[in-house]
Amino acid sequence: MSEPAGETKLEPKQASKEVKESENVAEKYSAMTVSKNSEVTMGELSSVFTAVPTHKPVKKQIQFVEDKQEFSRFPTKAGRRSLSRSISQSSTDSYSSAASYTDSSDDETSPRDKTQVNSKGSSDFCVKNIKQAEFGRREIEIAEQDMSALIALRKRAQGEKPLAGAKIVGCTHITAQTAVLIETLVALGAQCRWTACNIYSTQNEVAAALSESGVAVFAWKGESEDDFWWCIDRCINTEGWQPNMILDDGGDLTHWVYKKYPNVFKKIRGIVEESVTGVHRLYQLSKAGKLCVPAMNVNDSVTKQKFDNLYCCRESILDGLKRTTDVMFGGKQVIVCGYGEVGKGCCAALKALGAIVYVTEIDPICALQACMDGFRVVKLNEVIRQVDVIITCTGNKNVVTRDQLDRMKNGSIVCNMGHSNTEIDVASLRTPELTWERVRSQVDHVIWPDGKRVILLAEGRLLNLSCSTVPTFVLSITATTQALALIELYNAPEGRYKQDVYLLPKKMDEYVASLHLATFDAHLTELSDEQAKYLGLNKNGPFKPNYYRY
Amino acid sequence: SVHLTMSVQVVAAKMAEVELKDVPGKDLAAESPVTPMSEGKNLAKNDPHEAGSSAAASPTAEPSVKAGESSPGLLTPNPVKMPQASAMKRPDPQQNGGEAFVNRDGTVAEAPRMKKIQFADQKQEFNKRPTKIGRRSLSRSISQSSTDSYSSAASYTDSSDDETSPRDKQQKNSKGNGDFCIKNIKQADFGRREIEIAEQEMPALMALRKRAQGEKPLAGAKVVGCTHITAQTAVLMETLSALGAQCRWAACNIYSTQNEVAAALAEGGFSVFAWKGESEDDFWWCIDRCVNLEGWQPNMILDDGGDLTHWIYKKYPNMFKKIKGIVEESVTGVHRLYQLSKAGKLCVPAMNVNDSVTKQKFDNLYCCRESILDGLKRTTDVMFGGKQVVVCGYGEVGKGCCAALKAMGSIVYVTEIDPICALQACMDGFRLVKLNEVIRQVDIVITCTGNKNVVVREYLDRMKNGCIVCNMGHSNTEIDVASLRTPELTWERVRSQVDHVIWPDGKRIVLLAEGRLLNLSCSTVPTFVLSITATTQALALIELYNAPEGRYKQDVYLLPKKMDEYVASLHLPTFDAHLTELTDEQAKYLGLNKNGPFKPNYYRYY
Repeated sequence: MSEPAGETKLEPKQASKEVKESENVAEKYSAMTVSKNSEVTMGELSSVFTAVPTHKPVKKQIQFVEDKQEFSRFPTKAGRRSLSRSISQSSTDSYSSAASYTDSSDDETSPRDKTQVNSKGSSDFCVKNIKQAEFGRREIEIAEQDMSALIALRKRAQGEKPLAGAKIVGCTHITAQTAVLIETLVALGAQCRWTACNIYSTQNEVAAALSESGVAVFAWKGESEDDFWWCIDRCINTEGWQPNMILDDGGDLTHWVYKKYPNVFKKIRGIVEESVTGVHRLYQLSKAGKLCVPAMNVNDSVTKQKFDNLYCCRESILDGLKRTTDVMFGGKQVIVCGYGEVGKGCCAALKALGAIVYVTEIDPICALQACMDGFRVVKLNEVIRQVDVIITCTGNKNVVTRDQLDRMKNGSIVCNMGHSNTEIDVASLRTPELTWERVRSQVDHVIWPDGKRVILLAEGRLLNLSCSTVPTFVLSITATTQALALIELYNAPEGRYKQDVYLLPKKMDEYVASLHLATFDAHLTELSDEQAKYLGLNKNGPFKPNYYRY
Repeated sequence: SVHLTMSVQVVAAKMAEVELKDVPGKDLAAESPVTPMSEGKNLAKNDPHEAGSSAAASPTAEPSVKAGESSPGLLTPNPVKMPQASAMKRPDPQQNGGEAFVNRDGTVAEAPRMKKIQFADQKQEFNKRPTKIGRRSLSRSISQSSTDSYSSAASYTDSSDDETSPRDKQQKNSKGNGDFCIKNIKQADFGRREIEIAEQEMPALMALRKRAQGEKPLAGAKVVGCTHITAQTAVLMETLSALGAQCRWAACNIYSTQNEVAAALAEGGFSVFAWKGESEDDFWWCIDRCVNLEGWQPNMILDDGGDLTHWIYKKYPNMFKKIKGIVEESVTGVHRLYQLSKAGKLCVPAMNVNDSVTKQKFDNLYCCRESILDGLKRTTDVMFGGKQVVVCGYGEVGKGCCAALKAMGSIVYVTEIDPICALQACMDGFRLVKLNEVIRQVDIVITCTGNKNVVVREYLDRMKNGCIVCNMGHSNTEIDVASLRTPELTWERVRSQVDHVIWPDGKRIVLLAEGRLLNLSCSTVPTFVLSITATTQALALIELYNAPEGRYKQDVYLLPKKMDEYVASLHLPTFDAHLTELTDEQAKYLGLNKNGPFKPNYYRYY
C-alpha cells in the first residue's frame, strides 16, 4: 500500500484545483478523503478516463478479500464515504451474514464457460449457478423487510412508471439490497442490465435470483480481472439494446463506456454515481471538459452521509467490539481519536454504556464540541497508560504509533474506525521481539517481551467493515437515494441538467428521509398554508437552505 | 462553501421546478414547484430552526405591530414600517459575495426613519432592531433582558432619583478627562467589580490580551463601536485597548447599558457615550458624539445592528475613506450590509461575525440546552423526571432542548416539518409525532420552530390541567397567546413571567413569559457564551485591520474558518482541553496546514 510520496500528492492537488472549477465539491475530497489517496495504485489516477488504450492500470492488482479487504481495487470503495455500498465487500468475512453461504466451492467451472437458462428460457445472464435462485429470493425477501422505503416507492410510483423506457445499466455490489433496488427500478418501468463493481462482493444466490426473474446479471463471486471487464462489456454490448442511464459505483462502468462505446453517450441521459472515487473521476472528467452527460453525485447527500457515518458507526463500534472481544463497557476508560461524525457516533454510544470517554482532536471547533458534549479532550500521550480501549477515527495516518503502543497497559484494545489501515502504525508491531498470536478471526494478541498484551482488532483495518455488519436500513438509504436520482435525471426536462456533476436536490434528499420515517412510525407535521407563507417556504419543502448544517 | 453553495444552488434552482411527476401519491409530486427565485432568496428564511434566522426576521413584522398596540412606551411614529426594516433573513454568508436578501415584501430597510423605541421592561424582545433579540444575535442582545427581574446584570446601583439627563451634566474622571457622557462617573468602582467578574468567565479575551500584547496588532486602530454596553463588552473594549486600539463607544440599545460599567470605562479613559434609558434623540446624539470629534477619525467600525454604520453613511460619508473595515454582529446589521453591498454602496470591507460556526453553536445548541432547564426551573420549579414533554421543532434549538430534557429523564416527543430533521430525531431516540396526537397527555409543550401559530387555541383547549407552555423559538408568534385573551378564560399572574390561564371548568395552563422567548425572559445567558461572541469580534477586527491591501474587497465576508477555529481554540483552556497537533507527516498526508483551517467551509459540524 505504501506509495511513492509524489504520487500520493497528486490527487490532493488535482482535487484542490478542481475546487474552483467544479464548484468546490471536490474540495471535500481533498480535505476529507485525501488520505485515501495513499492507496491509489500507481497509474490509476493517470489512467482514469484517459483515452490511452492501456486501460488497465499498470499496477492494478487484485487482492484477496480475506487478507486485505479494504484494499479494493479502487481505494475509496472501502473508505467511509462509500461505506454503505462497499460493505458487501466485507460480506465475505467471517462475521457477515450476507456471505454467499450456499456456494458450492466444488464447482470450479468458470461461469463464462457454462450455458445456463432460467425457467423462462432466457440465457442473457452469466452467474455462478442459476439453481441457487430460490435461496437468493429468500435473501431478497429478508432485505425487503428492512427496505420499506424502496417498497413504498414502488407502490407510490408503480402506477405512473416514472422509469418507463429507461434502460439502466448498473455496476454496483450485487447483494440482496441491490436486488431490492433493481427490482424497484424494474417495477417503476426500467429495463436493467447489471454487473458487479467488485470481484468479491457478489452474492451468487442473489445474482441467480435476479437472473431467474429476468434481469440480465453478469457477476459472480471471485471474478478475475478479465472476468470483471468481460462482465461489464456484456452488460453494455448487446445487440438491439442501448442503455440510456448509468448507475455506477466506482466509475468503472462509466470508464468502460467512455473508452469502448463513446457513442453510447449520445443516448444517455445521465450518470448516477455513488462512491467517492467515482465522483472524483467524474469531476476530473468535468474539469477536462469531457463529461458529455449530466451526472449526479449521490454520495454527498445529507441523509446518506449521516447514516454512513454518524448513525452507522454509533452502532457498529459496540457491535464490532463485542463480537471480537466481548468487552464490557461500563466504567472502562476509552479514548476516541477524532471527533468528526464517526467520532461523535462512537463517543455517544460508549458514553451511553457507561464508559469513561476521552477525546483527542486537532480541530479546535470539533474539540470545543467535544468539551460541550461532556468529554475530556486530551492528547493521546496523557492517557495512553491508563486507557482500556483506543479507537481511531481521524482519517489520518500514524495516530497511534509504536511508542504509544509500547506504553499501553496490559490487555488494552486497539482498533480503527477511521479508514483503511493507516491510523494505527501496525507495521511497527512486526518486529522480532513482539509475538503475534491470533486468538480469533480478526483478533490478534501482540505480546511484548515482558508479557504485556495488546489486543489488536482487524490488524488495524476498519473495525466496522471487518467485524460487524452494516444494517440493511443504512443500505436502504443509499438505494433509495440512487433510485430517486435516477428518476430525477431521467425525467428532468431538457436543459435542467447540463454536462456537469450535480448534487442530489435538497428536496429529493428530504424525500429520501421522509420515505424512511414510516419505519419509526414517525408522523411528520405539515405546515399550514399560513405558516408556509409566514416562513416563505413551500409546504412540501425544501425546508432548509443548502448550506444548512443539520 | 461559497462555491459549494453556489453549485448546489444551480441544482436547487433548477430542482425547484422538479415535480417528480412520476411519483404520485406523495405531495412531493403534486405540489406546485418551488420557484427558483424562492430558493435563491429564501435561502435566508428556510431556516426556521435556527430560530434567529427567519426567526428574528419576518416574524417581527406582526409582533412589532402588536407591540405598537400594547406598549404605551412606544415612541415610534411609524411602527408598521419597522418590521420591514427588520424583516431579517438569514444573511446568506455563502452567497456569492454578499447577495443581499430582499424583504418578503421587497422593501429595503432604511434604518432611522422607522426606528422606534420600546421599553425593555415591557416588551423586551421587541427591540428597536428586531433581530437583536432573535436567537441569532442572542449573545449580544441578552443584556437587553438584563433589565429583567431575574437578571444579575442589571444596573442595580442606579440611583433613580437623579433625573438630570447625562447630556446636561459636566463630569470628569479622576484624570480630569471629560470626553464621555454617562449617567454617573461615581459608579465606576461598582462597574469595575462587574468587569472583573466578567473577566473570570472570559478567559479567551484575557488570553488574547496576553498573546497579542507584545505585538499590538491593533496599534493605530481607531475603533468606534456601537454595541450593548455591559461588563462583557467592557472586557472586549479593554482587550482592544490592550492590543493597541483607541476606542470610542456608544450603546446600540437605549435600555441595555449598565451604567456602572459605562462609568468604569469612562474612568478608565474610554470615551463612552451611553446610559440606560436614553431617548431616541439621545441615542443618535451619543452615536454622533462618538464619531464627530475634532482631530480624531475612526478607521474601524464595530457595530451591532447597523445603526452606527448607517449614521456614518448618512452624515459623514467621507469618513469611509479612512475606514479599513466594518465588523457587524447582528442579523439585522448583516442584512443591511448585504443590502448595501447589493446596491453597490458598500465602500469598505465588512465582516459578518454572526454566522461563524462557533458563535452559532453557542448561541443556539449549547445555550438553549442549558437555558431550557434553567428557565423552566426558575419559573415553575417543575421536576423533569418522567414528565412527558413535546418539543416542536428539531433544529439546533430543539436538539438542545431535547438533549437536556432526555438527560433529566423526561419522555420527549418531537414534532417536525422537515423530514431530514425528523429522521435525525428518530435516530436520536425521540418519538416523532404530530402535536395533536400527544397534546392531551403531555406535561410540557416547548416551541422552537421559528414559525407562527404552532400551538393554537384548539390545542390549548385540549391540554391537561397544569400543562406548562413555553416558547424557545423566537418572538411571541409560536404560541397563539392572543387567542387566550377571551372573556371566558381567566388570567392569573402567579409570579413574574408566569401566568395561569384558567378555563371555565377549572383547568389551568401555565403560560411562561406570555409566549415570549423563555430564555431571554426567564434565564440568563452565560458569560461564556458572550465570550465567544466578543472574541469573535476582536479577531474579526484584528483580521480586517491587518489584512494586506486587496485581501478584502468592498464586500461582506464571513470570518475566515481559521479565525473561527482560533476562537474555539482560545476557549479550550477553560475545559483544560488539550488539543492534539498534527505532525508534519500527518499534515502532509491530509493535505492540511498544521495550524488549520482543518475543515472545508461547508463542513457540517453536526
